[in-house]
This record gives sequence, C-alpha cells and structure tokens, in this order.
Amino acid sequence: MAIQDVKPTRSELIDLKKKIKLSEGGHKLLKMKRDGLILEFFEILEKAKSIRAELDVQFDVSMEKVNIAKSVEGIVTIKSTAFSFKDTPSLEVQSKNVMGVVVPKIESSSVRKHINDRGYGIIGTSSRIDEAVDAYEVLVEKIILAAEIETTIKKLLDEIEKTKRRVNALEFKVIPELTEARDFIILRLDEMERENIFRLKRIKG
Amino acid sequence: MEIAVIGSSEFTLGFRLAGIRNIHETNGKDDLIPVIQNVLNDREIGVLVIHNDDLASLPENFQNMLDELVTPTTIALGGAGESSNLRDKIKQAVGVDLWK
Repeated sequence: MAIQDVKPTRSELIDLKKKIKLSEGGHKLLKMKRDGLILEFFEILEKAKSIRAELDVQFDVSMEKVNIAKSVEGIVTIKSTAFSFKDTPSLEVQSKNVMGVVVPKIESSSVRKHINDRGYGIIGTSSRIDEAVDAYEVLVEKIILAAEIETTIKKLLDEIEKTKRRVNALEFKVIPELTEARDFIILRLDEMERENIFRLKRIKG
Repeated sequence: MEIAVIGSSEFTLGFRLAGIRNIHETNGKDDLIPVIQNVLNDREIGVLVIHNDDLASLPENFQNMLDELVTPTTIALGGAGESSNLRDKIKQAVGVDLWK
C-alpha cells in the first residue's frame, strides 16, 4: 500500500487498525505453525536419513544378487520363477493430516514369505534365486517404509517453506506498510486538527 | 492397493521376484512419460518405484507433480539423486544442511 494512496480519514484509520490487529494475529499463528512443522520435521529427520541409507545399501545388495542369479541361471529361469509367485504385496494407503499437511500413511501385507509359501518349486530353482528373492523382499519392505517417511518429509519441507514466506511477508512487508499508513493518517489527522484550531482562533480574533 | 515399478528390464527384473506384478518396462526416456501417466491413472497403485536416473530425466514440472501426489507415492532408487534432492530441499526450507 503506497502512502500516497491512503485517504487520511478516521474510517480509514479504524480499518487500518483492524487490519494491523488481524495481520499481527495471523503472524503469531503462522509463526506457531512454522515452529510446530519444524518440530515435526526434526522428529522424522533421523528416521528418514537412516531409512534412505539402508534403502540405498539394500538396493545395491539386491541388484548384485539378482545379477548373480541372472548370470548363473539365465533371465528366462528368473522370469519363469517370478511368474509362479502366489501372492503379490498389497498396500493400504491412507492419508493423515499433520498441521494442515496431507501425508500418506502406508500399511502393507507381509512382504517376506517363507520359502515354502512363495509358490515356486524348491528343487527346480537354485539358492541364488532364493537369495535374490530374499533380498528383494527386504528391499520392498524398506521401499514401503521409505515411501511414507520421505513423502512426509518432503511435504513438511514444502509447507515449512510456504509458511516461512508468509511469516516473512507479514513481518517485513504487510505489517510495516500498514503501520506506516496508520502513522501517516494519525499525523495527517493531527495536522488537520491543528489547522482547524488555528483557523477558529483566527476567525475569533 | 499395489506397488508399481517402472524402468528398464534390468531395474525391474528383481521386483518380479518379490511378487510384484505391476511392472512396466520402458525402452528409453521417450516412452517414460506415457507409461507414468498410465500408472497415475490407475487408482489401484499406492507406491510407484522408479530409478533415479529416469526420474531425473523427466521435465521439472512433471517431477514436481509426482512429488505432490500422495497416491501414488513416488520413490526413487539407485544413485545419489534422491538424497541430494532431499538435502537441497532441507537447505532451502530450513536454511541449514541437516542431511549429513
């Protein structure tokens, strides 16, 4: 709001005072929201770091195991083994609200299965395939866990940034401009009052 | 809901062994976007697994759109792309590099 656009009237002053009060209230609330979001973020940060490290290691291990199985058994054997799997991992994705941020909550059926429950014959396949299956089952479990945590952390970070911008805009732009306009109106009204008194005194004199 | 995996045959092969049926093999970067869009249209997909290099090759607005979605939730594997992406986000939002 440019100072030259402000009309120095009492109603404008009342409006501005209301706006300042509202902005200060909003600023306080947004600051509290930002602090709350940062606390939530710190709570899951360590978890996110460790799960990402574990996921990267497990991915490398799993790739290595499947590549060994592929080179020894051949891709056709691996694909035919994969076709004989009985169950596929199923998920339940719900969303929950953390201080206005919608984050996923993922629950899954058990990914890891006993070797007898997988669906392929034990005699027809080698231990290399079993090892690769084991590794990928662990990887999928970690993926499900990481999907929830990483998405939550990303969404929290986006919201922290948005809230930070709003807090800064209110603190350094909106509230100072409104205060400046209010001070200008007060000054102008006082000036007009003095002019009136002076005019009245002159008329009397 | 299910897990979907998108990527090269080398990337997706192992996931078949974990019992995942929703696997989409791509032949390069060109058919990546239509395949991802097909997966996004499927309401039964809860988690989308993709290789970091494939994710990095997508246009930035498409990556942001994937980031925004809760169902499916996208998770990138392989390389250091995802952790550096998170590190950048943390630096930008909090102002300090806490991903050490």
